[in-house]
Order: sequence, then structure tokens, then C-alpha cells
Amino acid sequence: MLEKFKLTEVWLKIALLFVFSAFYVAALSFPEQARQFPQLLAVASLAMTAIALVMDFTRKRAVRAEISGVDDTELRVLDADDLRARKKRYYRAWAIILFSTIIGFLGGFLFSALCLFAGFALVFGSKAKLPRNLVAGAGMTIVVYLVFGVMMGVPLLNGVLW
Amino acid sequence: MDVVLQAIAVVFLWQNLAALAGGSIYGVIIGVLPGLGPSAGMALALPLVIKWDPVTALIFMGSLYKCSNYGGSLTAILVNTPGDASNAATILDGHPMCQQGKGGVALGLSATAAMVGGTLGMICLIFAAPFLAEFALRFGPSEYFLTALLALSIIAAVVQGATIKGLIAAGLGLLLSTVGFDVITGHLRYTAGWAPIEDGVPLIQALVGLFAVTQALVLAESATSISRLAKLFGGFWEGVRTYFHYPVSIVRSSLIGLFIGVLPAVGQSSAGLLAWADAKRSSKHPETFGEGNPEGVVASETATNACMPGDLVCTIALGIPGSVGAAIFLGVMIIFGVIPGPLVFTEKAGLIYSLFFALVLTSFVIFVIGMTVGRRLAAMTLLPNDIIVPLILVVSLLGSFAIRNEMSDVFISLAFGALGYVMLKGGFTPIPLLLGLVLGELVETNYHRALMISGGSYTIFTASIISKILIVLTVLSLVGPYLGPFWKNLTQGEK
Repeated sequence: MLEKFKLTEVWLKIALLFVFSAFYVAALSFPEQARQFPQLLAVASLAMTAIALVMDFTRKRAVRAEISGVDDTELRVLDADDLRARKKRYYRAWAIILFSTIIGFLGGFLFSALCLFAGFALVFGSKAKLPRNLVAGAGMTIVVYLVFGVMMGVPLLNGVLW
Repeated sequence: MDVVLQAIAVVFLWQNLAALAGGSIYGVIIGVLPGLGPSAGMALALPLVIKWDPVTALIFMGSLYKCSNYGGSLTAILVNTPGDASNAATILDGHPMCQQGKGGVALGLSATAAMVGGTLGMICLIFAAPFLAEFALRFGPSEYFLTALLALSIIAAVVQGATIKGLIAAGLGLLLSTVGFDVITGHLRYTAGWAPIEDGVPLIQALVGLFAVTQALVLAESATSISRLAKLFGGFWEGVRTYFHYPVSIVRSSLIGLFIGVLPAVGQSSAGLLAWADAKRSSKHPETFGEGNPEGVVASETATNACMPGDLVCTIALGIPGSVGAAIFLGVMIIFGVIPGPLVFTEKAGLIYSLFFALVLTSFVIFVIGMTVGRRLAAMTLLPNDIIVPLILVVSLLGSFAIRNEMSDVFISLAFGALGYVMLKGGFTPIPLLLGLVLGELVETNYHRALMISGGSYTIFTASIISKILIVLTVLSLVGPYLGPFWKNLTQGEK
């Protein structure tokens, strides 16, 4: 029983129960016609999620859902160290993405693009190829600016700072 | 007949051929950028063509519209990110083929499907347009509601092989589509006062997040390239040959695509997925679908390409667009003085048949583009992740940003990226969610309209023969996956 709580699938379904309930409760304040459809959907989705959750707990063996839809060939042979390394890379990727987006919000999307190229080259690329990757990143940013900023008129340098 | 021959001659004028080539190349580039689909591409190109001759301008826009779909297939196959919702089905088998090093074969299948599906669809359109438009008029709100439900149930049941999970994801997509102004009462729902989602959850931004950002995160996690193997097997021409190994799938998918295209607002996203589901069900080896089965790519791509001509039937003959892209195309037609309606086939016959013939030619141009750049594009799957991940993120988030020039849209994409990643890890596929989001407004609007017509009585949903057939098909799609094993157990038990 307890080992099933280790599964992302189970936690996702529990979270979805709250999400669907929140949709139902938030709709209570809407006019009748506006709330009818979302409440109907929320109840149906809630029921299906509850059934799926009950099925998860009544199954004899736990199924590792993490492999579904991604490509299970790697995960099947990964040991604990590899899994830790994957997690580390995942969190680092998010850190780069969020940092770049904040920079883009402040200075404009073009800076976000530059930070993404530079960030991934620095954190994920090999040190030997760093200069080459940085130059390629800068070149790509210039191409993005010329094609979208100059030719298509997308305001790539509009941020909250200027 | 003279009108048709004159229309063909007009297409071969140098300026129209140049417009066709330019629109095709521009369309592929736009389609390759996740987020910038045909609608955004046409909107961006409008200032360029506004002063052109109407025939030349419509040929440019038509080629752009068709080729952007092909561009979307390229990214769906190569980086698991559909350029537009219409390419969502292609990722199911196209990307696994790429992971097996068969990217070139998948691109060959896709280009051949664009040529064959598009040409079959256009030929059917030219001869059957008036009849198809008449059939579409028999669909009322209840039939549209049930058609959308059928599409959702089939996708939920078949895409993942776990009906209940698919239905939960579809339910979440439908619920998210209710965010923003209610189409019937105008009441603002679930926005928490945040302006960027007042017009609803933006579809393109959600698509970018669910597929591009999610895929970038999955790639960043692993230290390999997209292709798990360090080399490519097979090439474009192998894909072309493989395509013709599935004649039954080609015909069935073309018919599905054309039929779905004729129904207003159901759209290409449903066509590809329904054809894929149909091919899986009728296959002797359904378990290989989703694992890189070429027939999956054949079915989804053929249907998507055959759907576009059907889509144009409603747009041109009735003035009812079948998709967002067709709606923009409708606007472009009106700007150039072509008022859609049944009379357009007599009043502007020359222009309409020139457009149709140009679209047939575009199908062949797509094949040439695939033939020349296919292998080079397939090599992209061998690039290391520190290069491909930021490239995917910059190009897709730029597509998300460029629609409204708002950084808030980038945040929306990132939020959907996180959701898509958690769904994948939790064993859910985001495709039913995307379809729920796409069809949500259609489902809700027609649900309310049907009830208004019937005075609140639910019997309207079973009133017509078409409705009854749709209900039976929906039930079958939901219980069908369980009937097979049940029947097998029963017969084996008897033995």
C-alpha cells in the first residue's frame, strides 16, 4: 500500500482530485448557465479520477508509470546514481529557463534567448567546446533578432526596464 | 471545362508560380517554428501581399497555409513538438521512428502523405464540393456536440491504451477551455483577475508548453541526442516506398480527413488523431502503434493533408471556417473581394479553380522540399542536447511570445510545460488534453445551443439519425478496447 504512494501517477491523480474539486467549487458563484457545463465536466472528471485512484490501490502490484510516454529504454537500466544525475540536470534546466525568462521580462525576449543559449552551453556543454557553443549561441541570437526583430517587427527588446 | 483550363493556365504565369514557391518556403519555415502555425503565418504575411493581384495573393496564402502544416510535421517527427495542433497525431509514431534513427524514413512518409493525401483531397474537393457542403448543412448543434465528443472519446480510448487516463486528460483540457469569458452569458470564469487569460487559455501557448517545453525538459534530463542511436538508418526514398505499402490506410485516412474537414470547426487536429486511431484498430499489430510504426505516420499525415481541402469546402462554399487557419484564410479571401458562399463557384469560378489547382501543385512542391532537405533535417536529431535544447526553447517560446508580444505568454507556456512534464511522468499523455482544449468551445457552445433549441430537453441529443449513429460510435469507442480481451477470455475459457 505504502509503496504506491511513491508513484508520481498516484500523486498526480490526488492532485487532480483537488483541481477538479476547485473547478466545481469556484463555479458555484457563476450564473446558472455559465456554471452548468464546467460543473458537469468537473463532476465527471472527479468521478473518473476517483475510479482510477481506487483501481491503482486495488491492483496487486505497483506499476511504474514514470516510464510511460517518455521512452522506457533508459529508465529501465538506470541505477540510483544515474537517476540522481538526471534529477540534477532537470533542476538545472529549470533554473536556466526561469532565470532567462526573468531576464527577458526585464530586458526583452532577445536577452532571454541569449541567456538560454549561454546557460545551456555553460551548464550542459563540455568545457572544451564552450567557446564554440557560445559563439554559436550569439550567432543564433543575432539571426533571431534579424529575422523576427527587424524583418517581422516583433518587439524583442521591449522589457519592463525600458 | 474552359474555365478550369483557363484557371490552370493562370497558375502557370510566372508571378503566380513565384507566389506558390515563395508561399511554400515561407509556410515550411513558419510551420517549423512551434507556435507559429498557419494562422500566425498568414497574419504576418498579410501586409506583404495586400497590394498584390487577388489570384497571386490567394495562391501565396493557400501555399503558405498548406506548407505550414508540413513544416509542423517536420518538428513533430524530429523534436516531438507539433508545429500546430493539427500535427499532434504525427508525434505518436513519427518521433519514436526518429529515436530509432529512422528520421529520414519518417520524413519521406510525411512528404509523400502531403503529396498523396493533399492531391486526393483536392481532387475529391473539386468534384464533390457542392455535395459535401450540402451534407455539412445537415449537422445541427447536437450533431456538432456529439461529433466533438466522439473525437474526444476515440482519442482518450486509443492514444494511450488506457481509456480512463485519456478521459481524465480530456476532461482537464475541456475544463481549461472554460477559463475566460463564457461564450453564451459573457460571464468571466476562473481568471482570478489575470488579464492574459480573459479570452481563454491561449491555445498556441498551451501547445508550445505541453509539447516543446516538455520535450526540452525530457531531453535536458538525458545526456543523449534525440536519436538514441548515434546514426541514421534508411532515408527519404525508403519512406516514399514504405508509404505505398499501406494502400488501405491511405484510402481510409483520406476519407476520414475529407469527412472531418467538411465539418465546420472540428478541424485537422481531430482528423489526424482519428485516422491514427482507426489505423491502430484495424491493424493486426495494434501494440506496435506509438512505438514507431510507419503506418501510424501514414494514417495521421494522410488524413491531416486530405482534411485541408475538406476544410476549404465549408470556408469557400458556406463561409464557415473549419479551423482557425481556415478562419484567417476566409478573412484573406474577403479582403481580396471574394465573398464565400455557394455563388462563389459561378461568380469567381476562375479564381477558385486557380486556387484549387495551385494547392494541388503545392502538394508536389512539398514533396520536392522534403526530398531536398529531408536528410539534412534528419541529421538534426544527432545534435547534442546542449545545442538542441536551447534551440527548441528559443524557437518555441519565441513563437509563443510573438503572437501577442507579451512575456506573460512565455510564462503560460512554461506553466503548461511543467504540467506536460508531470503528466508524462505520471503516465498520462498530453494529447487528449490538447484536443479537449481545442474542442472545448465547440462542445460547450453547441451543448448550450442544442438545449436552447429544445427548450432544455436532452432528447435533442438523440433526435436525429446522425446523432444516434454518433452516440453508438462514441459508446463503442469507449467500451471497444475492453471488448476484445473480454471476448478473448470468453472464447479461451470455453476451450
